[in-house]
Amino acid sequence: MEILGYNFDEFLTWVGEDIDTLMMLVWILPVIIFVFYGQRIQLIISSNEIKKDIGKLEEYTALTKKDFLNYVKNNLVSKSDPLKKLDSFFDYFTIMPVDLDPNGIILKINHLVRSREDFIRLQINGMFSNLSSIELSKLQNLLEIVTTLQLFYKHTRHLYLTAKKQKNFPLILPLQMMIPFIMEEAVALKDAMPAIKNGQPIGDGIGPMIVGQMMLGIRKESVAFETVWSKTTFEDRDLFLLKAEGPNATVGRPGDGLEKIISIKKPDLVIMIDASLKLEGEDSASIAKGFGAAIGGIGTERFKIEEIATKNQIPILALVVKQSIHEAITLMTKEIADSAQTVKDELYEMIRENTTTKQSVLVIGVGNTIGVSQ
Amino acid sequence: MSKSKNKISTCYTSMECDSCKIIKKRKYSKGDIVFSTSEDCSECNGKMLITKIFGVTMD
Repeated sequence: MEILGYNFDEFLTWVGEDIDTLMMLVWILPVIIFVFYGQRIQLIISSNEIKKDIGKLEEYTALTKKDFLNYVKNNLVSKSDPLKKLDSFFDYFTIMPVDLDPNGIILKINHLVRSREDFIRLQINGMFSNLSSIELSKLQNLLEIVTTLQLFYKHTRHLYLTAKKQKNFPLILPLQMMIPFIMEEAVALKDAMPAIKNGQPIGDGIGPMIVGQMMLGIRKESVAFETVWSKTTFEDRDLFLLKAEGPNATVGRPGDGLEKIISIKKPDLVIMIDASLKLEGEDSASIAKGFGAAIGGIGTERFKIEEIATKNQIPILALVVKQSIHEAITLMTKEIADSAQTVKDELYEMIRENTTTKQSVLVIGVGNTIGVSQ
Repeated sequence: MSKSKNKISTCYTSMECDSCKIIKKRKYSKGDIVFSTSEDCSECNGKMLITKIFGVTMD
């Protein structure tokens, strides 16, 4: 048999005599391919997966943006066309302070974050007529969701395109590692939209919900921006209660609140109730007790609380309700809502164990109090 | 009612009468706020206080 002048009968005879040589060729060929093109093949496989996720991020950004603008159009009375102005807000960025000399950086970050909040609040307030504080806080939250999703999308796309452009496989590895976490947060943000729009409580609101219930029937006073406090008693102890002012979609300013309460009367113990991200394998709505300031965010509020507590030698205890990122920012689940009574029982037990009669305790309900009054 | 993939979440409002302490659950309606009094108790003259608002997810 001759093909293209090559005698295959001769070849088959040779193979029949030495099958090992053929097998060696069969193995060597892929090895050679992988040595020279391995990274490129891996890059193609990895980048295809990432491309799909970037597509989803783009879809979520467009979806939430459309949802937000529709909400504004259908529910609010605007003085002029707000859509163009709101659209420009989506691209706003924040330049964090220089950290080469970290001394005093917390104050700078605090100033920056508050300036940004004040600016957005002022701008939104100027756009609409008769805007209630609840609506204003909801709009701020919705805007934050869209902006964060847009940021995720743009940054992920940038890393992906840079790696592809430079055919740089190692550059895509960190993105490949991070993308599941980014997607988890992105899905949670997308799913948070309906609860925020409807003003329904979210998982993060469990702390304010527990403290809000304890405040029922007691006089509430404003202690800081969007933050209220109450005084009551429990088994011959003074009990100070602090939370963000509900039902606004806000976390308030517990740091400023603590500072003011301290100037009135120094508590002997501070207990913070908050939602906490659960570790893989942990049950949702499980309760954990610990030490230290249980408060998330950028870190400025925690810094302030820790500093005041240290200066005044006040111990801080924490009571947290475990939940996933999705549960924390979407509609509160039944399991989390049902955990409120258990947390309250644990809180009272904590007060009994750690204080004596005539002492005072400050209980802070940390979290977004959307849909939860007091 | 929100929908994520094949999961449907329905929002409920749980209320407790401030007088007879009866607990009732109904579907969430716009304007419900936790710890606000929503309606009169059907069993006595008391007021129903909203104690919880939560979502139940079905696959």
